[in-house]
Amino acid sequence: MSIPGYSYKFDHKHLLSIEDLSRLDIEHILDLSEEFAEATRAGRRPDPHLKDMTVINLFFENSTRTMSSFEIAARRLGADVVAMPIAQSSVKKGETLIDTAMTLNAMSPDAIVIRHSASGGVKLLSRKVDCAVINAGDGTHQHPTQGLLDTLTIRRTKGRVEGLKVTICGDILHSRVARSTTLALHLLGAEITLCGPATLLPSGTEHWGAARTTHNFDDAIEGADVVMMLRLQMERMNGAYLPSQREYFRNFGLTRERLARAASDATVMHPGPMNRGIEIESAIADGDRSVITQQVEMGVAVREAVLKLLAGRRV
Amino acid sequence: MSRTLITNARLLCPASGRDETGSLLIEDGKIAAIGDIAGEADTLIDASGLCLAPGLVDLRVKTGEPGGEQRETLETASRAAVSGGVTSMVVMPDTEPVIDDVALVQFITNRGRETSKTRIYPAGALTIGLEGQAMSEISLMQGSGAVFFTNGDWPVGDTSVLRRTMAYAASCNVMVSSRADTYALSARGVMNTGARAARMGLSGLPREAEWIGLSRDLFLAEATGCRLLVDQVSTARSLEIIREARDRGVEVYVSVAAHHLFFNETDVGDYLTYCKVNPPFRNEDDRQALIDALAAGEIDAVVSAHDPQPPEEKRLPFGEAAFGAAGLETVLSALLVLVQDERLNLLDALRPVTASPASLIGVPQGRLVEGLPADLILFDPDKPWHCERENLLSRSLNSPFDGRRMVGRVMHTIIEGETVFQR
Repeated sequence: MSIPGYSYKFDHKHLLSIEDLSRLDIEHILDLSEEFAEATRAGRRPDPHLKDMTVINLFFENSTRTMSSFEIAARRLGADVVAMPIAQSSVKKGETLIDTAMTLNAMSPDAIVIRHSASGGVKLLSRKVDCAVINAGDGTHQHPTQGLLDTLTIRRTKGRVEGLKVTICGDILHSRVARSTTLALHLLGAEITLCGPATLLPSGTEHWGAARTTHNFDDAIEGADVVMMLRLQMERMNGAYLPSQREYFRNFGLTRERLARAASDATVMHPGPMNRGIEIESAIADGDRSVITQQVEMGVAVREAVLKLLAGRRV
Repeated sequence: MSRTLITNARLLCPASGRDETGSLLIEDGKIAAIGDIAGEADTLIDASGLCLAPGLVDLRVKTGEPGGEQRETLETASRAAVSGGVTSMVVMPDTEPVIDDVALVQFITNRGRETSKTRIYPAGALTIGLEGQAMSEISLMQGSGAVFFTNGDWPVGDTSVLRRTMAYAASCNVMVSSRADTYALSARGVMNTGARAARMGLSGLPREAEWIGLSRDLFLAEATGCRLLVDQVSTARSLEIIREARDRGVEVYVSVAAHHLFFNETDVGDYLTYCKVNPPFRNEDDRQALIDALAAGEIDAVVSAHDPQPPEEKRLPFGEAAFGAAGLETVLSALLVLVQDERLNLLDALRPVTASPASLIGVPQGRLVEGLPADLILFDPDKPWHCERENLLSRSLNSPFDGRRMVGRVMHTIIEGETVFQR
């Protein structure tokens, strides 16, 4: 982990966005995550780095997967976890959001994991608390642990990230995963192609580190080492952004024929939950190229690493 | 007969082009003499080192009165106004209730007279309840003192309603002000469309919404003969569209919000909701084009677009926060910064906040002429200051200028010969 003659310190109070991290930061988190992943695979329990600490999971948006992943990670490190799933509807918007943060802060937690439906919402809350804040997804902006776990999964599968051709396909416009993963992979030297229909592909993606964008999935997938499919929200398909599911699947669905255009050892990823038969064929999702379950496994490891680095830090 | 004599001032009258050192005598609330003046005075003001100019006429101010007094009242807005050199303000009709009938126009006029330090002129609602469906009593409200008619922040969506309303307004010789927007394109937007919004995961307010709305309004003005004030243009291309219309002979006037001369979209920074305004801050190219147009005399009015919003409307995630910026106290300084940067000369900076908007609404002030009301400001064009939210006088402190270093400041404000503010 440490490079001889090189002093490195992970010097962040929060994890809000991949934009705040350097390449070194990311590699440091990935190295640490890898140790946790190996420990779990070997059936070892990690040291209780978070013993006597309290982690609050504050989820303003429904999420079973991410919330469980954070909870398991925190418990493995010995923390007490308080889950606060707050459906957006039951919480008054407005000052209440900041009031909630200040109330929780007064209970002196060691870390707060937050998901919120508004872009920038987690950052706003982080300004009002003095413990570590980990962004578990804010609107269509960032989901940094997802970016990290995707990067880790690729690094483990391929042995490297530098120089890999990664194609990300789907609803880029509304995807915080695309924003996070693209940035992280770009920092580590991957060559990223973003692909989607014109209505779901925003302008200016070169600023996230994408090498190119295209509306043609067949071109996008050509020679790709990694193909990552994004979830398409059903409500986008009623004619608002796309004419129909079947038209989407025809043009942007991952089929065996399409996958054949990718590199022969191409890896298939999906952040989940999947719409089988809409963005991805079941046979591929369950096939030997798929590392989708490994992504979930790495998710816990990355969250253990992030919690270890941040929990208990104060201003 | 009370006499106030201001001496050694740099006299600036953007209407006549006067720019010379001299004196100005105020008698009974009116400008009595300008130039070399001898004689007695009850009050003597030595204005050495200061500029003397007409007080500012601001064509776009929102207060919360009636219905939103926690945001701002006419009285609190007027305190902010005089400290920024604004002596006349046109208040927008989007209040609760909407200013859409004669009694409400009179209410605003009377409340203004009773409580406000500045002169208050109501703008009437173009349609009943600002709902964009039925035209309001334009002619009657005009008779009660409404200086122009607008649908405020909710431009009329139904083009045939707008066409009929503009045709009717033209027959009353009334000016209609419309913010150029296409609601169907901008309804969900919160900041300028572009790479920055995409990266921040925020939905965009596209430029095309402004261009399409603007083109529509201009064609209707041309077809109906209605005088049109385009409210707060924000893009370079909008200026081109307006130039073309002017070349065709359309009677169109244009306003720019002072903050659009100062900020671009990068100032939104880390989701700073004080920089959330509509129209949004655009690109640097757009900002530069607005400044060039101002220098070229193409902008008829620079407005504060004062829109007070309390913390509970701004301390929210960017997407959920209210639009609007407090602006009364910074409008003159925003212009004087451009003078300091040698982008404008003083008279060109003052014209769109004095004589030009005054003549648009048909009021006599806004110029240094004997016999006109003595609404005057003394300002130091070189005085540096640091804009800090907590020092502002508006009831709401949502200024995007918070933390900025500014140059040029009002030192003394006079309305109808009376000192209403002194720094």
